[in-house]
Amino acid sequence: MKFECGDLERALATPELMPEAREHLKTCAACRREYRVWTDISAIAKELHADWETPALWSNIRRAIETEPRPAPKPVWWKEWKTWAVAAAVVIAAVLVSRPWQWASVQNNGSSQTDAAASLAAPLSSNRDFLTDQALQEVERSEAAYRRSIEKLSQLAEPKLQKSAAPVTVSYREKLLMLDSAITETRTNLAQNQFNVHLQRELADLYREKQQTLQELLTRDQKN
Amino acid sequence: MWEIGLPLQFVHSLPDNPTDAELVEGCKRGNLRAFERLYELHSSRMKSLAFHLLGSRADAEDTVQEAFLKVYRAVRGFEGQSSLATWIYRILINCCYDVMRKRQRLAEKPARSEFGRENKLSLKIALERALSLLNERQRLVFLMFEVEGLKHSEIAGILEVPEGTSRSWLFEAKRELKRTLMESSA
Repeated sequence: MKFECGDLERALATPELMPEAREHLKTCAACRREYRVWTDISAIAKELHADWETPALWSNIRRAIETEPRPAPKPVWWKEWKTWAVAAAVVIAAVLVSRPWQWASVQNNGSSQTDAAASLAAPLSSNRDFLTDQALQEVERSEAAYRRSIEKLSQLAEPKLQKSAAPVTVSYREKLLMLDSAITETRTNLAQNQFNVHLQRELADLYREKQQTLQELLTRDQKN
Repeated sequence: MWEIGLPLQFVHSLPDNPTDAELVEGCKRGNLRAFERLYELHSSRMKSLAFHLLGSRADAEDTVQEAFLKVYRAVRGFEGQSSLATWIYRILINCCYDVMRKRQRLAEKPARSEFGRENKLSLKIALERALSLLNERQRLVFLMFEVEGLKHSEIAGILEVPEGTSRSWLFEAKRELKRTLMESSA
């Protein structure tokens, strides 16, 4: 496959430029300019490190530390108190998550059902930091749907990814590897805290990115 | 362990090149030499990072001071789940965000359209300006990786994201910077 100007951005995603990209740069002034700006960014960034003398800073910090009230040692009952506090927090969280007062009102109140449906429709758009059990199930269903879609796309893209040595395909392959690694890492983190909205959102973003990348690869293939 | 009434230790039982563990232990015991060593090791990068985030040297110095005080107050609870440097940078970034929230600097960001007219700026100044147009996460990763020379593994630890995410944000940042710089010089 011939390297074209539109392929440059993807080629820049790799740590070292592919030979095909280098060949292209020899003949294309526009891409050469773009590549020069790209490399200049990293070179000039080093010069942005701001260094200036601050002879008084450490003495100010030291003085502030010296005048800081000393942290008191923790009393003996601390550990025991902490254990009880954690236990109490777990019980309160369990009650809040199960929301028994809503079970009764859902049967009698139509608006409560609407609210519940709305919260299910967008489990990740909530501002809360943690998911409820119900929302988590919905997220897991969405994730499973994404994974099925990605598996299908991967099967379609696999022959192309394996056989072609074109620079663009190599870039796609590297991006997909990077995404797979990020997905694995995020899933590992999630395994430790599956109720964390931020991690769930990040995983959803990564799946979306992978799905789009595969679609892009397949569409591009059809066009060519 | 710290005890009430025990003076800060000015007598330095700290090796010449202390390891992270020795520094943590020294700080936990209230050894000021250990804090000073931390300052020597990290203050230059911390000041630069704070300066780029806050846009003022005076604010950067105040924020670094605040960060060290927070380290002093919290070091007893540091359990070593991340490296000491990672932990300190995380504290610094949180301090910077506190200052930014107070000042609501985001509202003062220059509009993108201003940059098209500044095509005579040197690339360094243009890059500084273009940096201010990035979103927070891209700017932070770019500053830490390209300007301050931190590794992706360290940045990932500081921002509590996977290493792949740090790489991906850096690529997005550079792509956005390239686009802005090329637009401004067109």
